Amino acid sequence: MIQLFHVFKTFGPTVALKDIDLRIRTGEFVFVTGPSGAGKTTLLRLIFGAEPPTEGQIVINGINLSRISGTKLDLLRRKIGFVFQDFKLLSRRTVFQNVALALEVTGEKRSMVRKKTHQMLRAVGLAPKEEAYPIELSGGEQQRVAIARAMINDPLILLADEPTGNLDPDITREIMILFRSINLRGTTVVIATHSRELLRNTDQRIVVLHRGKVLE
Amino acid sequence: MIAKLRLWATYFKAALSSILYNRLIYAISVGTIAISLLIFGAFVLLSVNVRNWIQGWGQTLNISVYLKDGIDEGTREKIRAAINALPGAEIRGFISKEKALQDMKGMLGSQAGLLDGLSRNPLPASYEVSFRKVDRKKFEPKRIKEALEKVAGVDEVQYSEQWLDRFEGLLYVLKVGGLAIGGLLCVAVLFIITNTIKLAIYSRRNEIEIYKLVGATDWYVKAPLLIEGALQGALGALIALGILAAVHFALSFRAIQVFGLPFMDFVFLSYSYALGILFLGLVLGLLGSFIAIGRFFKF
Repeated sequence: MIQLFHVFKTFGPTVALKDIDLRIRTGEFVFVTGPSGAGKTTLLRLIFGAEPPTEGQIVINGINLSRISGTKLDLLRRKIGFVFQDFKLLSRRTVFQNVALALEVTGEKRSMVRKKTHQMLRAVGLAPKEEAYPIELSGGEQQRVAIARAMINDPLILLADEPTGNLDPDITREIMILFRSINLRGTTVVIATHSRELLRNTDQRIVVLHRGKVLE
Repeated sequence: MIAKLRLWATYFKAALSSILYNRLIYAISVGTIAISLLIFGAFVLLSVNVRNWIQGWGQTLNISVYLKDGIDEGTREKIRAAINALPGAEIRGFISKEKALQDMKGMLGSQAGLLDGLSRNPLPASYEVSFRKVDRKKFEPKRIKEALEKVAGVDEVQYSEQWLDRFEGLLYVLKVGGLAIGGLLCVAVLFIITNTIKLAIYSRRNEIEIYKLVGATDWYVKAPLLIEGALQGALGALIALGILAAVHFALSFRAIQVFGLPFMDFVFLSYSYALGILFLGLVLGLLGSFIAIGRFFKF
């Protein structure tokens, strides 16, 4: 599903990722961890195609990212959901509109957008708050909106960058259960985190990054 | 096809929602565009009217047909018939030798005594002829002059070519001046729209990032911005035309009231000119957005 071959990423003189060779199989649940500045976010951004690698190849679901650009890359991104620590919700849109956005950009029929969005909001337990604005929600609820938005297009891959970084332990547990259920439905899940709490007692694969190198 | 229409409806909705959200910035921008296009439109209106006025004036050409001395009544009649046969010609009057001398004396005033020493009247009799509503492009005064000078009894035909040339010069100055001022104002409008859209993009950069995050194509992000620019330009142009029409009708009414008769037959811009200004606003809006977007995205 996700393959990285000798990937390097530099920002000016700073080397963010060094010779990364990584394979993540379809349906796998993977934690990427390491201290701040280890390159976790950069790795996720490269997999998402937000930035090109300085060197090396990245293949997602059989598509080499260096061989596509523009609209083809945008279309591939619809198959990759992304969840952030700061949720990245549109403050001027309601919960419903935030989740529906991911379908609207695909040109989906309005009736289908409504149906799927209602379904997704029910699945993440936010149906009663669909008319609320992000500012009226708790951190955990905002993160569930972001997950609903990331999942509404049935992505093959779900990337999450420190998704529980701003949440208390109870809400963190709730969000992690949500990620597991998403994974159980067949979606490949990659979570970047530096939280030791999250990794304790997990039986999932853990990829450790240190100064841009994989220490798995 | 339906999916495309649905997307266009989404683009328009997004553009209108952005305009409403940033209404103060857009109001200032549309106001400034309206003022610029108003100045431009006023200039176009003025030059169109001056040109019409000049052309109307130029449509009447006066010539003097000087007769040889001592011709009989029959020859004079033939000359009169030859003049009347010319299309658009109208004989304004016949000036006899005596009348010509009298006029000359009148013109000389206190110096009229100079003419007393003449042994004979040297001034020829003449027909004063006007050509009304002539088509300046087809009208050839030189050919008329040559044709009339061939008629027996005609001594010379004179017309003033200089004033025609002067009007041509004035029209040329108006045209060049209009283009220069219009060009400068277009650059100003372009600058305003580019900066408004840049501000809009800047204020929505987080939103745009989220759109890209959920897989929106570049076009999905750019289309509403292009629509916003086009709407700004078109709205500015409509306001400018509205103000221009209101001022034009208010002033032309007052001119009739004050002077009894208007100074000139002041007409408003024709549909093609008004549509031209609207189209100009629209194109400038699109172009301004295009430039602004190009600085943030790669097309």
